[in-house]
Amino acid sequence: MKSKIAVLALASSFISYAVQAEINLSGFASITGGITTSSDEALYGFNDTFDFKNGSLLAIQASSNIGEGLDITAQIVSRGENDWDTKFEWAYVSYNVNDKLRLLAGRQRAPFYMYSDFLDVSYAYPWITPPQGVYDLIFNTFDGLSGIYSTTLGEFDSTYHFIVGNNSDEIEAFGETTKPSMDNLMGGAATFTRDWLTLRAAYFSADVSIPLMSLDTLAGNWNAVGYQAYGDNTRIFEDKGTFWELGFQMDFDGVMVIGEYTSLEIDNTLLGDEESYYLMFSKRFDNYLIHITYGVDETSINDFTRGLPTGTPLDALKLPTQGIIASRKAEQSYVTVGLRWDFHNSASLKFEYTDFSDDINSSNDAGLFRTSLVTIF
Amino acid sequence: MKYIKINAILLSTALSFTAIAEVAVIVNPANSSALTDREISRIFLGKNKTFANGASVMAANLKDESAAREEFESKVLKKTSYQVKSYWAKLIFSGKAKPLAEFDSDADVLNFVAANPDAIGYIDAANVSDKVKVIKTFK
Repeated sequence: MKSKIAVLALASSFISYAVQAEINLSGFASITGGITTSSDEALYGFNDTFDFKNGSLLAIQASSNIGEGLDITAQIVSRGENDWDTKFEWAYVSYNVNDKLRLLAGRQRAPFYMYSDFLDVSYAYPWITPPQGVYDLIFNTFDGLSGIYSTTLGEFDSTYHFIVGNNSDEIEAFGETTKPSMDNLMGGAATFTRDWLTLRAAYFSADVSIPLMSLDTLAGNWNAVGYQAYGDNTRIFEDKGTFWELGFQMDFDGVMVIGEYTSLEIDNTLLGDEESYYLMFSKRFDNYLIHITYGVDETSINDFTRGLPTGTPLDALKLPTQGIIASRKAEQSYVTVGLRWDFHNSASLKFEYTDFSDDINSSNDAGLFRTSLVTIF
Repeated sequence: MKYIKINAILLSTALSFTAIAEVAVIVNPANSSALTDREISRIFLGKNKTFANGASVMAANLKDESAAREEFESKVLKKTSYQVKSYWAKLIFSGKAKPLAEFDSDADVLNFVAANPDAIGYIDAANVSDKVKVIKTFK
């Protein structure tokens, strides 16, 4: 997990007590291939042509102790889905105030989910990726400050992770490439662990703006006819988003049960309220682990134009608005079964099959087979 | 081709699993801390970072696939080598902790512990010398 040079450097710096800017290197990689089980099906970026690019990634983490409790860490990740372009997922300065409190400043992962902190480190969890139905926020990192406080509460080890910052990374939405802004992002996660049991809860809020040509044009037209409130509901501009998460993990002699529930609401938008959860059961047999996951993803919508009578010239705005609102409604579920084989100390081979069904539009139903070679180094 | 490589890796891992009799947890002779099994385990999981006297712990780990490390992980940490790696991967790649210092051999750990009053390590009990103090052995 660590380069030899760094180990020697670390050892020598301990012995001499000299502070040297040595760089510690580590990393991880996933090489993932996937194919849907019949033609004209598509799921999670895969289709009926075997693809090794979409789910693959390679990351290198470099960190350096610059003395007085300060460390600098950068994690760069190249993803196949971005044509292997390299991106800084983490780039922060950390400061250990004491044994319990650690402060991070810079680019870092927002602790939205149970597996957020090591979202890309497939080696650290059973699946190839955590269930996409739950793990589907449009961003995972932020730029800002965080504090991690760890303490013991009776028999429980507890960790409190608070963040404040913002995100403005480019995304794809409604068929457009856009640069959203998540401002005043703040919130935190609390995790309690005791032997075999882990409990977690998280809450975050942000002011969400997603400039989109299609929605902004429609909103402009609503405003032009004097329906300002409908215009405000159509565009996504400085709308308050709230997200919360509850999770648990039980790990009993090789039997593991994991569950996570999330809820996302962005007020005064046509995006709808999203609720997702999954439940996973796994059992380990020496170097093999089998798992099964059932998950549900639901978006409920609110048609704010329903009060308007139909058959007026306003239909020119009402119908397309209703069309977009209706397209957000979702009732999806999936079952994933998988096998993980730890054939090497630092590498595992994973196989997974996902049966996905869409209760609203059955033409989205799909079966997906994936395999992945995951390593840490 | 891949299949052959995987087999070669499996073979080499299998060969390195040479059992040893006893693992000794060692500290500097100047260190008078008494540690329970649970405290030793928490130190090597990065959870306890100080001794009772307040000094920062310098925990010395053996390199991957060392016989004593396998023994220590299963007997003291009560985890498989995969679970320990996975545990540390979570901490390291999420910025929550730094990895323990790793050493190539029992002799390197012994010298490190002998030279640092706040160091703690574990080695094959057969390799212990009077330069360090054994606080616990695990069979």
